[in-house]
Amino acid sequence: MFGFFQISLGKTTSLKTEKTDHVCEELVFDTIFKSNSKTVFNYIYYKFGNEEKAHDAVQEAFLKLWENCAKVAPEKAKAYVYTVANNLYLNVLKAEKVRLKYADKTLKTTHESPEFIMEENEFKEKLDRALNSLPENQRSTFLLNRIDGKKYAEIAEMEGVSIKAIEKRMHLALKALREQIDGI
Amino acid sequence: MQENYLAKWLNNELTEEELSEFKKSEEYASYQRILQVTGTLEPPDYDMEEALRAIKNKQTLHSKKVVQLHPFKKFLRIAAAIAVIITASYFYLNTLDEHYTTQYAENEQIELPDTSTVLLNADSELSYSDGKWDEERNVKLKGEAFFKVAKGKKFTVDTKAGTIAVLGTQFNVVYRKDFFEVTCFEGLVSVTFDGNETKLPAGTSFMAISGKIVESAAPNTTQPSWVNHESSFKSVPLRFVIDEFERQHNISVETKNVDTDQLFTGTFSNTDKNLALKSIAAPSQIKYTLEGGKVLFYGDKKP
Repeated sequence: MFGFFQISLGKTTSLKTEKTDHVCEELVFDTIFKSNSKTVFNYIYYKFGNEEKAHDAVQEAFLKLWENCAKVAPEKAKAYVYTVANNLYLNVLKAEKVRLKYADKTLKTTHESPEFIMEENEFKEKLDRALNSLPENQRSTFLLNRIDGKKYAEIAEMEGVSIKAIEKRMHLALKALREQIDGI
Repeated sequence: MQENYLAKWLNNELTEEELSEFKKSEEYASYQRILQVTGTLEPPDYDMEEALRAIKNKQTLHSKKVVQLHPFKKFLRIAAAIAVIITASYFYLNTLDEHYTTQYAENEQIELPDTSTVLLNADSELSYSDGKWDEERNVKLKGEAFFKVAKGKKFTVDTKAGTIAVLGTQFNVVYRKDFFEVTCFEGLVSVTFDGNETKLPAGTSFMAISGKIVESAAPNTTQPSWVNHESSFKSVPLRFVIDEFERQHNISVETKNVDTDQLFTGTFSNTDKNLALKSIAAPSQIKYTLEGGKVLFYGDKKP
């Protein structure tokens, strides 16, 4: 009995020392969650414009990660949750209008003429429409880069495509936005 | 301009010349403004702590189900099933009788729980209840058997034709189709046949053919002859002799123009087929042929 106890004790300690960065460790899991869940949420929201589905995607993706924590290496965890979240609505969800708020801080500090403010609001409406008319993957890529400040390489990893493909999306998205706003 | 130059521009990867060229273009101001306004956009509110709490709740529910409850439940379920099977089979096997059967041309010696022995002749069945043996010494018999009963309480042999009760003795019982015979070799045997009890002292026998009691000659041996691999008959209709021959030699017999009711007295070997055939045919004044594992007895004169 005593010998058995010792053996099992030794096993757990060795596990802890060898695999401190295992996803099944709660601290590791929490860290992965905190640094990625908001991006997962935004990513799905930018694509489909549905907040509820974005919340569900976060839950689903991280629960799957927890269930398979023994099989997913920590460095693969990030790509794993984006893949799960993305696959969740593959071909199922139709994109709705993406509604984004505009931070007021820039306007408050500037004392612009009413004409300028009107023109500014008009521009925002055009931008909204232009963003909504972009293809899903161009929109999500563009907004992840411009709002969340994600590097092309990071977005490429999330989407499982090459950096060059992300550059192409960025280029096409910006080009399409300008063309629509300038009315070309 | 290089490929995807807008993306390169956003990443500050344009060369000096490309950048100055791009800045001179008329779209440049529009691009600048798009980026500036896009930078003020904000996604919907997202409460990370709340989302993490929701996941933790589901996790605990989940892990409880999988890690703790399930394996133990499964183990218990299997253990319970095994316990039920063992208990049930224990009670079932206890109620089952011990059962012995012999085929044609086969004898078997059986030791009963009280050291009484039974020699079972060919094509016979014997059964008794091991569990109830201490309450009553009772065996059921179909066919022929020789009993050496150890002294003790009443020992009974049940056949469909009648019941034999003894205290401690040696006796032989034959219960075949239409043929019932009890021979006592030692002690006293009580035979109940058709509701009438007959006491058989040593050296006497009781015989009933087709439900009728027939006078029978007393044996002059201490054991039935079949124990010594011979079958003996005294004034027994020939058809029972032929039946016994079939049983002992595992061979099928046909008769033609033979009076099988004629009485036969004699002995045949249970080991030597040809000798046995001669032993049966000669005293009955009939002939026989042995072909392809079949025996035909025939009379040469019309009956």
